[in-house]
Amino acid sequence: MTGGYMLFVFSYSLLEGSYNNLIDIFTLDNTGHIQIHKDDYLDRPKIYKTIQNRAQVEGAMHAVDDVISFTPRVFSPALAYAGSKTAPSQVIGVDPELEPTVSRLKEKVSEGTYFDNAPDADGYFKAMIGKGVAINLDLEIGQEIVLISQGADGSIANDIFVVSAIIGNRTSFDRMAVYLPLTSAQEFLSLGADVHEYAMLVEDKHENEKVASVLQGEIPDLTVAPWQVVEATFYRTMQSDKQGNYFTMGLIVFIVFVGVLNTVLMSVLERTREFGVLRSIGSRPLVLIKMILLEILMLTIISVTIGVALVMPIVYWFTEVGLLLPEPIDMGGVTFQHMKGDFAAYIFFYPMVFMLATALLISIPPGIRAAHILPRDALGAH
Amino acid sequence: MTTVIETRDLYRYFGSDETEIVALDHVSVDIQEGEFTAIIGPSGSGKTTLLHLIGGLDEPDGGSVKLSGTNIAEMNGNELSDFRRDHIGFIFQAYNLIPVLSAEENIEYIMLLQGISPAERKKRVQEMLALVGLEGLGERRPAHLSGGQQQRVAVARAMASKPDIILADEPTANLDSKTGISLLEVMRELNQTRNMTFIFSTHDEKIMERATRLIHLRDGKVEQDERK
Repeated sequence: MTGGYMLFVFSYSLLEGSYNNLIDIFTLDNTGHIQIHKDDYLDRPKIYKTIQNRAQVEGAMHAVDDVISFTPRVFSPALAYAGSKTAPSQVIGVDPELEPTVSRLKEKVSEGTYFDNAPDADGYFKAMIGKGVAINLDLEIGQEIVLISQGADGSIANDIFVVSAIIGNRTSFDRMAVYLPLTSAQEFLSLGADVHEYAMLVEDKHENEKVASVLQGEIPDLTVAPWQVVEATFYRTMQSDKQGNYFTMGLIVFIVFVGVLNTVLMSVLERTREFGVLRSIGSRPLVLIKMILLEILMLTIISVTIGVALVMPIVYWFTEVGLLLPEPIDMGGVTFQHMKGDFAAYIFFYPMVFMLATALLISIPPGIRAAHILPRDALGAH
Repeated sequence: MTTVIETRDLYRYFGSDETEIVALDHVSVDIQEGEFTAIIGPSGSGKTTLLHLIGGLDEPDGGSVKLSGTNIAEMNGNELSDFRRDHIGFIFQAYNLIPVLSAEENIEYIMLLQGISPAERKKRVQEMLALVGLEGLGERRPAHLSGGQQQRVAVARAMASKPDIILADEPTANLDSKTGISLLEVMRELNQTRNMTFIFSTHDEKIMERATRLIHLRDGKVEQDERK
């Protein structure tokens, strides 16, 4: 029974840990836990669909305790060229100081230096470019990149920037992005102080939908969306994958169930003679049923307690250190080398409840059988 | 003398059709209060079956058993359990002690069912242990007692509830001669001092010598019933 509990907890921890890691990778790479946009910007992004009342929005985010960090962003498609080469790109304006509090952009710098708001000695503002842009335009750190786009006021936007860093690798979702400091991007796109998006992180990522709902109440004119809505396709794919893995988990649970069943049957059926003796000396049937249930309950509690003591360090190690993968997994330039579990109270609690409920349910039929057995038959059993 | 056990036309068979074996064939006996009765006969004559039916451990296919005037067939499960608990003590050939309980706990359990206070239970356990000569061994589990000691615990357990009737199925069969005699002396003394009714199923001549009544069974029928 102890082994079954440990197997259940370990598998559950691994399953939940894997998805939590996946969510972290995804949300910290780009989306954050919640995003705020103007109206239907997510479905039909246009440069003029901006968030203008930034003070009110930021005030609302500050007022919600669960929001731990947020960052503003602007977006626009642009044509990038260097020398005689051109490439389509996506301009993303980010606040150099706030962005690292929400995403892993700073960690994704593969070459060069993470930028700031200040211009270089020649008065050019800095840009960080995706690996795809760097390859297509044959650009290196310190070289100039020219961007042409359309301003929010309908004007032609064009400017020269200096490459300060290359971001991610060829597989990164932002391999064709050109990151600009927020103020430079706003000026380049004639946006004034407006932004297109706020991305934020919350204290408990599993509560992000609730927090989004609270924020939506504070700023009804804008759209507040949890990452599950922002990246609905990814979320649906993950959920269906999760369902598949729950099936595997079900098989493990079944194995644990068989283990519990075996323990209960061993405990009750092999002592039929003993129960016959108790019946013959005057135990009422209900007394025997209660006794068997109590005994199984105690047996399960002891088994689970031992199981918790044994599996807790293993799950903790698995969560903190993890299993070294033979090949590291690259997620948009962020490398993950360990498969990790999840260490939380529910990881231990739900299997515990399952074990107790299963043991009690399974023990009822043999308990009733033992309680109503004819003493003569039981005394004849060995 | 009061009749405490009354069987009428008790009939019991096992198996079916061609394999049917008649264990008891219309057995009618009356047992008086305070009798020290031995049911004797060859193996398969129906001795143990008769004891089981008298004690309500088995159900007859025909006939009736009355204990102190009450037909046990008319009792429901709980009433029969309570009757066994308060009026009948069982001693089995294989001792049938609960292996995970100590000797004291084995004796105490039936009093726990009777709702006797802890202090009274402890007192009576010590009395019973002294009566069967097991002082100082109460904390031992059955596995750490000899066969004779285990059977003494079984006797103490059977008497702890102060029953009217003690049913003993081959109680000395697994004991050496000396231990068997010693145990019989204990039971005979209880029979004489407390007027408990004892019924044995046995092959043991030592029991037959001490019994006040011998009921001979053969092929499920009472062949002879003699009072000494």
